[in-house]
Amino acid sequence: MLMTIGEAGMKALKIENFQGHFLTDEGDYETVDKIDKAILLRLVNLALEDNFEIDNYDEGELKNQAHQIIYKSISEKLNDLHQKRNQFRDESERLYLNEYEKYKA
Amino acid sequence: MKKIDFHIHTVPTISDAHFTFSLEKFSEYVNTAELDAIAITNHDMFDLGQFNDIAEELDCVVFPGIEINLDKGHILVISENANLEEFHLKTKAVTEKITAVGDSISVDELIHIFGDLNNYLLIPHYEKKPAISGDTLDQIFDFISAGEVDSPKKFIRMAKDDTDITPVIFSDVRIRESMKKFPTRQTFIDCGDLSLKSLKFSLRDRNKVALSKSEGNSLFQVFDDGQKLSTGLNIVIGARSSGKTVTLTQISKDYGNVKYIPQFSLVQRDDANYEKEFNADVARKKSVFADKHLSPFKTILDDVLNVDLGINRRKIQDYLDTLLKLAEEAEKLDAFSNVALFNETQFEVGVDKVLSELISSVRQLIENIEYREIIDKHVDLNNLKDLACELIELLWAKAYERKKKSFVNDIVRDVKNKLQLRTSATQVKDVDLYKVMIEHKKVLKFNEIAKLLQTEKMIYEENFQGFKVVCKQRPFKGPGEIKNVSGQKVAFGDAYREYSNPYKFLVALKGNEALTPSEFYKYFACIEYEILNKDGFKVSGGERSEFRLLQEIKDAQNYDFLLIDEPESSFDNIFLEGEVNNMLKEISKTMPVVIVTHNSTVGASINADYMVYTSKEIKGEDITYRRYSGHPSDKELCSIDGKKINNFQVTINSLEAGEDAYDDRRGGYESIKN
Repeated sequence: MLMTIGEAGMKALKIENFQGHFLTDEGDYETVDKIDKAILLRLVNLALEDNFEIDNYDEGELKNQAHQIIYKSISEKLNDLHQKRNQFRDESERLYLNEYEKYKA
Repeated sequence: MKKIDFHIHTVPTISDAHFTFSLEKFSEYVNTAELDAIAITNHDMFDLGQFNDIAEELDCVVFPGIEINLDKGHILVISENANLEEFHLKTKAVTEKITAVGDSISVDELIHIFGDLNNYLLIPHYEKKPAISGDTLDQIFDFISAGEVDSPKKFIRMAKDDTDITPVIFSDVRIRESMKKFPTRQTFIDCGDLSLKSLKFSLRDRNKVALSKSEGNSLFQVFDDGQKLSTGLNIVIGARSSGKTVTLTQISKDYGNVKYIPQFSLVQRDDANYEKEFNADVARKKSVFADKHLSPFKTILDDVLNVDLGINRRKIQDYLDTLLKLAEEAEKLDAFSNVALFNETQFEVGVDKVLSELISSVRQLIENIEYREIIDKHVDLNNLKDLACELIELLWAKAYERKKKSFVNDIVRDVKNKLQLRTSATQVKDVDLYKVMIEHKKVLKFNEIAKLLQTEKMIYEENFQGFKVVCKQRPFKGPGEIKNVSGQKVAFGDAYREYSNPYKFLVALKGNEALTPSEFYKYFACIEYEILNKDGFKVSGGERSEFRLLQEIKDAQNYDFLLIDEPESSFDNIFLEGEVNNMLKEISKTMPVVIVTHNSTVGASINADYMVYTSKEIKGEDITYRRYSGHPSDKELCSIDGKKINNFQVTINSLEAGEDAYDDRRGGYESIKN
């Protein structure tokens, strides 16, 4: 059964068959060597959602050294972002907040 | 004519320095100054007991009054000498409200306390600090009879102006035990009986007040001995050490805001020093002018300072080189260089200025008060608020996206760096082409503008009494000139080689660590500020003194008096007869001018309004200094103690060294002429 993106159970990053994978737009998985900046941006969006889940990095589980480098860097940063997701949004919405609240009334 | 002084302090309050009041001195003042009426006006209080003592003792009409702090300005409120208990009670209400320095009451409070203000004589500080001004004055305007000033100059200016209120000048004196001199600031008023009603009636007519008893506003009393001077042009003549300079210094001491040009102050004693001083003065003015002229250029320069075309060029070169190399190696890519992120570029994350500005503009439309009506006529305020909110929401969304992209950029950079460490494959170096191109354009514009600045042209010209102040811009002629402008011991030779290309020149300046970048804007064009004589040449030593004298006289417009001691000691007669006499005549139309002179060109040719002859008279062992004064056309000049002296004799003695010498000289000139 296909699951929607972000739905519980669909991991954004996972390790399988000693390779790193990321969740695609269609709900499939591709190897991490295919990740470009557009895909990264999509993963960042997932990390900012509440139900974000990934396999944690494990060097022994990844054979390919290029995969090790990419998976380690991206997983660590996305996890970190997920922890700070509320602060991350608040900072952008602090701009003109006083005016906004005044005029919104 | 009645002589009045309606501003007198007899009690030290929080608004005064401490003093000890003396009724005896008060009586002496009223008698010497021959006052017909006075008013007691202490700060924010009225001492009924003391008032009764004063009124009983003094031989003149005494009015009760108070000087009130009204909205940070001062106003005299003077009452009829009746119902003193009631006045006392009212002033007590003022005293209760003003308990610390800086306290004041409002117009509403004033009216609440005193009731109908028509029952009082109200005189605000007008051309005098701290003045009642603006709204406060408008609110009480109908009750005001006159405005107080602090100098004869201001008195005359208001007396001549039909649109202004009637001026009055009072002493504002503290009657202290230690008083040695009495004030000379009083007003003469043409009124019938000395009642408050009659005074108020007379004050409504500016022609009924004057600075002197019989000479209207053409004379005023300058010293407490009764000595008068013209409110226009006065000359003081007399032998050496007869008291001419003493007269000037006494005026300078007795009055504030006096422009005093002492004898020899403008003479060129030490040529080199004088020239240095003069040039320093010119340099100061030049630097102010140059900064103003160069300020827009400085803004551009500060921006271009951050541009480094060399680095940009290198970045493009690196990008092309790595791209080409990668193409060659396409076959040899390994596991590291084969992943997508290995050659990934960065997201553009510039700030959206347009949107922020748009939000600010909408905010202005919402919050503007001045043009509210017009805005409301065309746009609904609620729509504007909705618009502002929507734009702000859009701004948030964009800021959020930008933040996410920055985050992605971090990851891309991190992964790329780590991959690069593990492979020998070439990584394409990223370059922001947009930034490179914008900076390139900036430099082109900068060069264009700097070149305009280096075009020789006149940027300012002012004619001043036969002199010409000229400001020019032009390119620097060599590194030495730039060094002079910098005021530093740094060689500009290397940088100057690039002078014809402003950007390259800037790079060369940046390369010299001894120089401060914030000063660079001065090094691109030479701003000249010169004072030329009427023939268009640089001024000579003598002309420099002339220029300064004229400037000093011009500066006198900002003062209440102009005093000059023997201008002839530094200048030739043609200059004095021409520019100086003209300027002095002109300025004496607006303020009292007093000139001490021995010179006939100044003394006799200037057509003074009034003259004073100072005389040191020795009788046995007694030395008396006297001043005889009168109009230049009077046969006799009179001293204040009633002595008279022949005007023709003293004038010809002082200005022409006597009648015989004058005749001799005239004979001499006649024979040369024939």
